[in-house]
Amino acid sequence: MSAPEHQFRIAPVGTPRATILFVPPLFDEANRIRRTLVCAMRALAADGFATLIPDLPGQNESLVPLEQVDLAAWQGALADVAAAIDGPLIIAALRGGALIDHHAKATAWWRLAPVGGAALLRTLLRARVAADRESGVTSSLDSLQADAATAPLLLAGNRLSPAMIAQLGSAEIRPVEPLRTVTVGGGGADAIVGTPLWLRAEPGEDAAMVNAIAADIAAWSATCGIG
Amino acid sequence: MTDSASQTSGVDAALRALLADVLGLGTDRAAALSDDSGLFGALPEFDSMAVATVLTEMEDRLGILIDDDEIEGEIFETYGNLLAFVTRKVTG
Repeated sequence: MSAPEHQFRIAPVGTPRATILFVPPLFDEANRIRRTLVCAMRALAADGFATLIPDLPGQNESLVPLEQVDLAAWQGALADVAAAIDGPLIIAALRGGALIDHHAKATAWWRLAPVGGAALLRTLLRARVAADRESGVTSSLDSLQADAATAPLLLAGNRLSPAMIAQLGSAEIRPVEPLRTVTVGGGGADAIVGTPLWLRAEPGEDAAMVNAIAADIAAWSATCGIG
Repeated sequence: MTDSASQTSGVDAALRALLADVLGLGTDRAAALSDDSGLFGALPEFDSMAVATVLTEMEDRLGILIDDDEIEGEIFETYGNLLAFVTRKVTG
């Protein structure tokens, strides 16, 4: 897994105020919010921040087969990406991205609607059960998990290794410091404007949420004394 | 409103908000859902991934646990069926 992976980077000319390393949601959820995330990166770059989304092994353009990686591999890969960045660094993780952001060293962390691995895995397994039912195959969460103990399992288009599935099932959000955690919608001091686009059956976008993400991260950066 | 009636209307509102989030219905279309409104098989957005997402989000937002053995295909046929199932889980 030593081949370098691609990074998607949007940065201002000259020295940035800080770098925002985005960790998108895992699996399907990443596709549904990608456009909003990229628009937020542009807004932050216009405000003087360097921003990037790394491909981790098995994701997007990576040549590594997804079934050869697990959460531990992603945690390590993300730590390597972070270690190569000069200057102040904020890691901004969304949803399941917050399950792999704590091994990296950073100046500060920002998390949007973090979610435990068990809930993500349950949704993936349920989608497989529902798809199986449509094609006349009877499966259950238990039977799928039994199958996944010894062989890769195809879940919503992702061929996941036994290690990945086992780690997802028990992965919890870990404490990091300093951390700001925000939710979406519903008001309150820790809620930003927007909708949970990562749940959406068809990818959508939300201009107000773009600005809210960028503004909240910039404000958190200032709070942390980064500038 | 009685306690159980207000509980039911709370479940109804939560379920409409959830379907709006998952299916991208918008507030107006979500508010217009009636008991007979078709879901799975009727709305193109309502695919197997959406079924799974709705189940997990219902657990999260309404504080219930759904045993997947109790899920029959009919639950997702209409809004009324889904609401009845969730209401039974919340009040049961």
